[in-house]
Amino acid sequence: MSKIIAAAAIRGAHACMDRAERMLADAVGRLGRDAQVGFEGTAYALPTILALTGRRVERLRDLEDAVAEAHGWIPSVPTDSTWLPYLGGTLDAGAATLVAHETVESLKPLGGIPLVSGFWLGPTPDSILREQGIKLVDGRMPGFAACVGALPDDETAEQIARDLQERNILVFMGSHTNGDTMAAQLNRRGVQMNWETFLVPYGPDTSSLVHAIGFACRAAMTFGGLKPGGLKEARDILLYNKRRVFAFALALGEVDDEKYATAAGAINFGFPVIADTDIPQILPSGICTYEHVVSNVPHKSMAARAVEVRGVKIRTVDIPIPVRHGPAFEGERVRKEDLAIEFGGKYTRAFEYLTSRPMDRIEDGLIRVVGPEIADAPEGGRLPLAIFIEVAGRKMQSEFESILERHVHSFLSEPMGVMHLGQRDSVWLRISRKARDAGFRISHLGTVLVHKLKNDFPAIVDKVQVTLFTDAADVDALYPTATAAYAYRDERMGALTDEAVDTFYSCALCQSYAPNHICIITPERLGLCGAYNWLDGKAAFEMNPHGGNQPVRKGEVVDPVLGQWKGVNDFVSTASNGAFERFSAYSMITDPMTSCGCFECIACVLPGTSGIMIVDREYPGQTPVGMTFSSLAELTGGGQQTPGFIGMGTLYVLSRQFLSGDGGLARLVWTTTKVKERLGDKLRARCSEIGHPDLYEKIADETVCTDLEPLIEHLAAVEHPALGLGEMI
Amino acid sequence: MTLTVKPKTWPGAIREVTLGAGSRQGLTIGGGKGLPLHTFEAAFPRRPLLALEITDVDPPRWVDTVRAPWDGALGRPDVAAKRAVEEYGADVVMLHLVGTHPDRGDRSPAEAVEATRQVLDAVGVPLIVKGPGGGSRQNDVLVRVAEECRGEGLVLHSAAQEDYKSLAAVTVAYGHVLVAESPIDLNIAKQLNILLSDANVDMDRVLIDPMTGGLGYGLEYSYSVMQRIRLAALGGDRMLNAPVICLVGEEAWKAKEVKVDGTPAAVWGDRARRGVQWEIATALPLLEAGADLLVLRHPEALAEVRRVVDGWFVAGS
Repeated sequence: MSKIIAAAAIRGAHACMDRAERMLADAVGRLGRDAQVGFEGTAYALPTILALTGRRVERLRDLEDAVAEAHGWIPSVPTDSTWLPYLGGTLDAGAATLVAHETVESLKPLGGIPLVSGFWLGPTPDSILREQGIKLVDGRMPGFAACVGALPDDETAEQIARDLQERNILVFMGSHTNGDTMAAQLNRRGVQMNWETFLVPYGPDTSSLVHAIGFACRAAMTFGGLKPGGLKEARDILLYNKRRVFAFALALGEVDDEKYATAAGAINFGFPVIADTDIPQILPSGICTYEHVVSNVPHKSMAARAVEVRGVKIRTVDIPIPVRHGPAFEGERVRKEDLAIEFGGKYTRAFEYLTSRPMDRIEDGLIRVVGPEIADAPEGGRLPLAIFIEVAGRKMQSEFESILERHVHSFLSEPMGVMHLGQRDSVWLRISRKARDAGFRISHLGTVLVHKLKNDFPAIVDKVQVTLFTDAADVDALYPTATAAYAYRDERMGALTDEAVDTFYSCALCQSYAPNHICIITPERLGLCGAYNWLDGKAAFEMNPHGGNQPVRKGEVVDPVLGQWKGVNDFVSTASNGAFERFSAYSMITDPMTSCGCFECIACVLPGTSGIMIVDREYPGQTPVGMTFSSLAELTGGGQQTPGFIGMGTLYVLSRQFLSGDGGLARLVWTTTKVKERLGDKLRARCSEIGHPDLYEKIADETVCTDLEPLIEHLAAVEHPALGLGEMI
Repeated sequence: MTLTVKPKTWPGAIREVTLGAGSRQGLTIGGGKGLPLHTFEAAFPRRPLLALEITDVDPPRWVDTVRAPWDGALGRPDVAAKRAVEEYGADVVMLHLVGTHPDRGDRSPAEAVEATRQVLDAVGVPLIVKGPGGGSRQNDVLVRVAEECRGEGLVLHSAAQEDYKSLAAVTVAYGHVLVAESPIDLNIAKQLNILLSDANVDMDRVLIDPMTGGLGYGLEYSYSVMQRIRLAALGGDRMLNAPVICLVGEEAWKAKEVKVDGTPAAVWGDRARRGVQWEIATALPLLEAGADLLVLRHPEALAEVRRVVDGWFVAGS
């Protein structure tokens, strides 16, 4: 922590405490120790003191005890020669400051100073807490801002207030700068301030800000069911606030010692400080989720920056586009007669490219159309298009780019009157006349993407900006970057091996109907449904840590050939409810993985051929093993371990680890034409890699035979390499 | 030859959850230490409870045959509640706030509170309060009811994966019990309970509603997911060992078979009798799968299910 801040905060804490003690001594002198003290309309006594110390202050004697305890928390101001860590001491000083503030506020009425006067609302009663506090806890209100001090002018004050209101953020105001207050500034602008407008002025003194803290403490005690008590209980209340009450302080104007001390108090709750002046920053995360103090933030971007620093997630309920949208419109086609404009297909170049950027490089929500808009193009005309999406997020990783980009298709299919086909640089996009006449423009593609990406991936996406290039020169200029990225991703995926990672991902999504089944997804063996690869599992876990995809540490190698690891076996044993103790990633004979029932394909051993066959789900006919897909599925599914039978994703065939423990791809003697066609050139390439360039042609399919006898003859005739490998069982 | 039963013991047990507090006579469910009805090898300190469903307004979708026993009480929750408990012998009452649905009356949260109060005043048994179905309206209604009836240990139906935070907060704040509803999906059931427990909801105040499919309409899916939940719970999974509630009446009386008259239904026998049988036939398998609390609609179904349960659980066992 910055020593400047620490020293200022500790000095401020001493000053606040002195004042509180003086006022308290004075009140005791006038009214005696038994005089009652407290805020109106709350059953939580002095809530901040209650939360931090467990003391239920009802009389001045109780307050004396609380103040004495808090005084003991304040360390001495670090001397010039002290360089040791002072974070703990500063935070303690901050907590003591909050106790001092609440003391001062509670004593004001006893000294004839009202807490409610003019537009100042004073402490919040429980009835409002019950109505508004729950919104903070359940997420209807994304957070609150405690605005400390005043803005340079009234207009800026209103702009900040509006920026916060627009984000549904509750605004508390207190303290002053150079004799002015933000509340007074808003008042002069004629802005309504009350609980209905979410603009709540507490009081002109810095001490009044403790009412915001008291509000947070009561929210935790009420809706978090946390009982105040000792240190541990106080810690739970602080942590609850850090995790659920997304609050932050905006330090407006000069920050004096008392404000530093108050900020140190707020940091205990995980509430960071965003300042418009050039105070020292505290950037590393620790007590707060991200940065603690961010300074020199321009007023224009203050609300946005605060939301980002606190990690507040704001969801939009309705996407502001002029046509209806939803999954119901996904399959809709826009026919030529209805066409307003189209991009891509075989006519123009059109591609989509999503990349990640550092947080500060992106202006969230910025949508630009560079080149002609829809009105500039002739009816039914064609334009080139580059959909360039830049995202940033605290937890964003470049590996997730392709996952997010893959969703562009479903996102852009959802508006009524927009048809989107393909992906990457094979995009074909049409906008109907009806949509255009309703006001839909090219820029709305960006609107949809910004909102959908943020709403559907809140855990990894914090900011999105979209640029839509519709000018051939710009589209061509960006194109090499996009294709390089596609190539890089493919290469990375190719280089991603089981060896190269230390964690696999589980998938338990099908346990509801296959109780003991568990999928283990490795970089080189995708999920048997074909829908989930290792990256998907990783992203799914990042987005939903309690979900069905959990990380599985490999641990030490048990058998490198079969693909068994200790960590995986331990996981399987627990996740299968003790039904299985071992899984092989690379064998269908020894401890094969189980299958739920969602497999794209089934592989099974073909006795007498030394090989295996693979049949896909859509193939209705007979196979050389004498069973159809559906009879095979009975044997394979339901979470059983049946040696010789596995369910698998089609693309597993192309993996270097495809049944490598059993002899690998050279074992494949029969499959369906559909599988062969789908894998096509890639399968040919794999055949060459394993030293059998003509294997592709040797693999039989249903056009060659569907019985075992002719298959054996065929294999002998073509000299299939499996014959030399020996029987599998 | 004698048959020797080797009792199976499990590391886990079902939690006990007490329904009703304050002015309610509390009742506890759960506590089973073995597979459902395996009374020969495990202790079942609590037998399943049977609730009857009543509504805040006259429920337009109820078919005549299930309306009959409630004649004069439909849309009068206090009268219906009294009848459910005093005449029909329900252990628990479920007040379904159908009328708060925007399309079925659009009654305000204040009116919902009023209806709830009437029921609380009329009977002393624990009360389940069911909202109009997921979404912001349900939250508005149940949050108000929870706040205004604090301390009564109401069973709030229900929190879902996408939308649990409001009801979690009021469950904690005002001392109620929360039903965690999942769409016949073990993972979601577990995940939701983890989320609730993260939101500081005491797991001793949570019931699982695994979602009921009526007979012929997915009953076997409910059955199988309940088995799975129970196996996990007994295996020691503390996020799945909550007692299970099933809304039987609602599902059973939705079936086409309880509604149609004439051919070909003529051969299916008397329609009124058929409806009751359909409800019973939905209820019994769910009890066999381990349901701890059933919500029924027809008093005759309740009477028959009660007779069967009493036979299963010999007094005192």
